[in-house]
Amino acid sequence: MSFQTPWAVLGPAVPSQTPEGIRRRYQRSVLLVLFLLGAVVLASVWLGEPAIRFEALMSRLSELVARKGWPWWVPDFVRLIVPCSLILIFVQLVPVFVLWWELKVAAHIQVRLGPMHVGLWHGWAQPLADGLKLLLKEDIVPAGADRWVHFLAPIVAFVPAYVCYAPIPFGADMAAADLDIGVLFVLGLSGLTVIGLLMAGWGSNNKYSALGGLRAAAQVVSYEVPRVISVLPVVMWAGSLSLSQIMAAQSGLWGGVIPKWFIFYPVIGQVSFLIYLICAVAETNRVPFDIAEAESELVSGFHTEYSGMKFAFFFMAEYAYVFLGSALGAVLFLGGAEPLPLMRWLPTYVVFFGKTMFLVFVFIWFRWTFPRLRVDRLMDFCWKFLLPWSLVNVLLAGLVFLVRWG
Amino acid sequence: MIEMAVFALLAVLTIVPAALVVTVKNIFHAALFLVLSLTGVAGFFAMLGADFLFVVQILLYAGGITVILLFVVLLSGSPKDWLIRQMNEQWLGALAASAVFVAVLAGLFQYLPGPESISAVGPTTELLGVLLLREMVLPFEAVSLVLLAALVGAVLFTRRGEGK
Repeated sequence: MSFQTPWAVLGPAVPSQTPEGIRRRYQRSVLLVLFLLGAVVLASVWLGEPAIRFEALMSRLSELVARKGWPWWVPDFVRLIVPCSLILIFVQLVPVFVLWWELKVAAHIQVRLGPMHVGLWHGWAQPLADGLKLLLKEDIVPAGADRWVHFLAPIVAFVPAYVCYAPIPFGADMAAADLDIGVLFVLGLSGLTVIGLLMAGWGSNNKYSALGGLRAAAQVVSYEVPRVISVLPVVMWAGSLSLSQIMAAQSGLWGGVIPKWFIFYPVIGQVSFLIYLICAVAETNRVPFDIAEAESELVSGFHTEYSGMKFAFFFMAEYAYVFLGSALGAVLFLGGAEPLPLMRWLPTYVVFFGKTMFLVFVFIWFRWTFPRLRVDRLMDFCWKFLLPWSLVNVLLAGLVFLVRWG
Repeated sequence: MIEMAVFALLAVLTIVPAALVVTVKNIFHAALFLVLSLTGVAGFFAMLGADFLFVVQILLYAGGITVILLFVVLLSGSPKDWLIRQMNEQWLGALAASAVFVAVLAGLFQYLPGPESISAVGPTTELLGVLLLREMVLPFEAVSLVLLAALVGAVLFTRRGEGK
């Protein structure tokens, strides 16, 4: 056979490496993926809306409480505890999945396979194995470290990520706390993470860590400004800072075809979405904005002196923020859990996760496509390009409002 | 009962770090305690139902200004400058002046009308926005002009060295 696969150099052809074998394997993989997706969709349709199910369970619990004469605060307590615990568990699971997704997407962008062995199917258990490895590793504290600051830094970096998930509406009526100031809450509290990075930079007593912490602080504080301003037109349009109301403002269709998502608003919507996306990537300190970690310059920046579980906390914080930025982008610009046309039968949370995972994919795509920016270019880009254009965008949105309702 | 407990907790969280800010020798630690103290103040805002002020306090003070403070500490001087005695011989007088100030404030607060009920307070953002852009628009714009002037002034001062 004249056809040779690139990996034929590894040895004699085995059946799965002949063209027919490869075709068969691809067909099998596509079928398997379609089957898995179908199973997930069917299961979610069968389960229905979790909010309605939860309400039914709660009313049953209230009846039980009334019948058995339990204290009055039991239903309220359950109503408080269950969403909080779900969020806590969810934020733990997000990095596991996003890490696997990143490993696979990165590998395929670089024309390789990525993890294939752990868990038997496409290395799905690789992040779990990594987590176990990090748990078992020795926790090293440098001799000259500022012990308390070094110890607390990963916690300060990770805890805001938990809190920020509270107002995210994962579907219809699925926000753990539907805050009236949702957008500001998420943007404001996620800014606290940078204090953890600065603490890591100081506490490690290492020049690379300190430089990484400095760069992280400069970058996050700078990109916070255009990020908040890019969200303003959305808030102006929806007339509310509450995430569920912003989501509700994007329901419906234009001319029965185009969904009223904010990204489809001519010019203003697209400009804000682009600025938001760039700033969201920059806030997570990922390539092309990863000057805070920059392996080739700073070893690995602020987490140079961290090992084991403390390092894992920084890592999990990064992935939690990737998902958070995507979820916020999906709610603000892609209509959140508002269904796609012709797909109204899908439960709202499936729609939400679909859009969010698409944005997560864009984040990963960014990371493996663009080279790292230089420090001064990064700052120039923020202050001299993103900030003026986001301000122009807000002015433009204001002009539109003035003409339409002035 | 719970309200009182939360208030006590927040008060401790605000006052103890605030005292540590002016007493610890390590400047970086002082700045970190300032973050904690400002977050405690944000907690008071949240407890009183001022949700907008709570987030703005976190966004600007805990997440913005103190980050710049930490940034400056990391950039400034040599390690020996980071460990300095924060107080001079006048600390006793300063303490007395602060005590008098607190006493006067406590006396004044007795004559202020208290809030009717904390649980009755609703979302404040919309009210605040309407207030700022309708009735208070002149003071609001005046304040923003002053801030703009300060910004331009800061740029002017930092640029002066470059021209020479």
